[in-house]
Amino acid sequence: MTPDITPLAGFDKDGALQEASDHLERTLSRASLFRRGGLLVAGGLLAGSLPVALAGAQGVPKGDVAILNYALTLEYLEAAFYKKALADGALKGEYRRFAQVAGEHEQAHVGALKKALGSKAVKRPNFDFQGTTADQATFAKTAQTVEDLGVEAYQGQAGNIKTPAILRAAISIHPVEARHAAWIRSIQGRGSGQPSPAPAAFNPAKDMNAVLAAVQGTGFIAMAESGSGSAVDGAPSMAG
Amino acid sequence: MSEPALHEVATLEEVDRDGAIREAAEEVRGDTRAAFLRKGGIVAGVGIGLAGFPARIAMAQGTPKSDVKILNFALTLEYLEAAFYAEANAKGKLDGVTATFAQVVGGHEAAHVTALQQALGSAAVKKPTFDFKGTTGSEGTFLKTAMALEDTGVGAYQGQADKIKTTAILGSAGAILAVEARHAAWVRDIIGAGHNPKPAPSAFNKALTMKQVLDAVGETGFIKS
Repeated sequence: MTPDITPLAGFDKDGALQEASDHLERTLSRASLFRRGGLLVAGGLLAGSLPVALAGAQGVPKGDVAILNYALTLEYLEAAFYKKALADGALKGEYRRFAQVAGEHEQAHVGALKKALGSKAVKRPNFDFQGTTADQATFAKTAQTVEDLGVEAYQGQAGNIKTPAILRAAISIHPVEARHAAWIRSIQGRGSGQPSPAPAAFNPAKDMNAVLAAVQGTGFIAMAESGSGSAVDGAPSMAG
Repeated sequence: MSEPALHEVATLEEVDRDGAIREAAEEVRGDTRAAFLRKGGIVAGVGIGLAGFPARIAMAQGTPKSDVKILNFALTLEYLEAAFYAEANAKGKLDGVTATFAQVVGGHEAAHVTALQQALGSAAVKKPTFDFKGTTGSEGTFLKTAMALEDTGVGAYQGQADKIKTTAILGSAGAILAVEARHAAWVRDIIGAGHNPKPAPSAFNKALTMKQVLDAVGETGFIKS
């Protein structure tokens, strides 16, 4: 159930994300990205997170690396969104508390994914949240959209992940995104009951293309950082 | 994460008079008596049902027995949750957002039961009888118990994800996992308004093994027979 998100519509003027996606597709087809990191690193588990430098380990399928970088891109976006919202100072009370807690979680997800990917991690893009962090109501609607999308994104990849340790890690993040989504919905629904924290008995999933189209529609990914291997190169456009 | 205030704690052995739950649990745990699984040797057409699980997938050729056990494990938990909310709704002691929560979530759990039953076909375990020990009779105990059940449900689905062999089953389990997590966060927010307990208590949700879940359920004494 994607909510109506008027503030987010129609921003992606430069098509930067699509461009980056196309670039990644070419990169993946050459597979140069994956031949580079031949280091075999012991996949020790961090507390509650991903195996360190797992993506650099031999035998981890390219598809899993692409999924991890896709997840990392979404987590970069979420973490930056909450950081900006807290810095803007427009949030009060439970909205502020939600942003602090969810922001810490997203930052922890970024850290875990970066460690798992090692040198294969995509760089952090530059973001422009289009003013959505500057007032509480817009922040809340946007947070709801971003969190709902995060749930759908992880859910859409579970069946595609080949490495059990990566699946376990992803499936420990998936319900946390769902908890965030329900939480911000519950805060907004005080009194009215809407939006419902759990709008359906079965959560919908989205494949990569649908998620990337939604992200692109926000215009939140402003531009890649300069230099090769830039951030949005990691936003894959592989079919989910 | 505090435990619900359950008045009586009984072990599974104490309440499981005819051994039905024990038997189901053992099946679920992968004991050798897999007779009920062998029973359903019919290969059914695997159409995707409304709710996501392919209908009668448990009886389809190529579906591993371990997946059938996981589905029955999930079904047992969903029976319990659905019955808990049905009883709470019937007693009518809940007001406002708590009543809304119980109605909405009860509807979801009933939908999960139906989907799992359809996926399992004749391999589905039967619904146990429950005794919720009075926890549905007041708002305070209802909320604490709902939180414990939902948090357990999330950990239970999460703990099975990497053991599921059939991609379609994994997809449907993921669709339920996210909803259980939404329920857990919702009831936590009702209880603590975002403070204590936190709707999202940590960055990485903790998975529970089948044994941990069955032990926790056994300790509640909610399953009578």
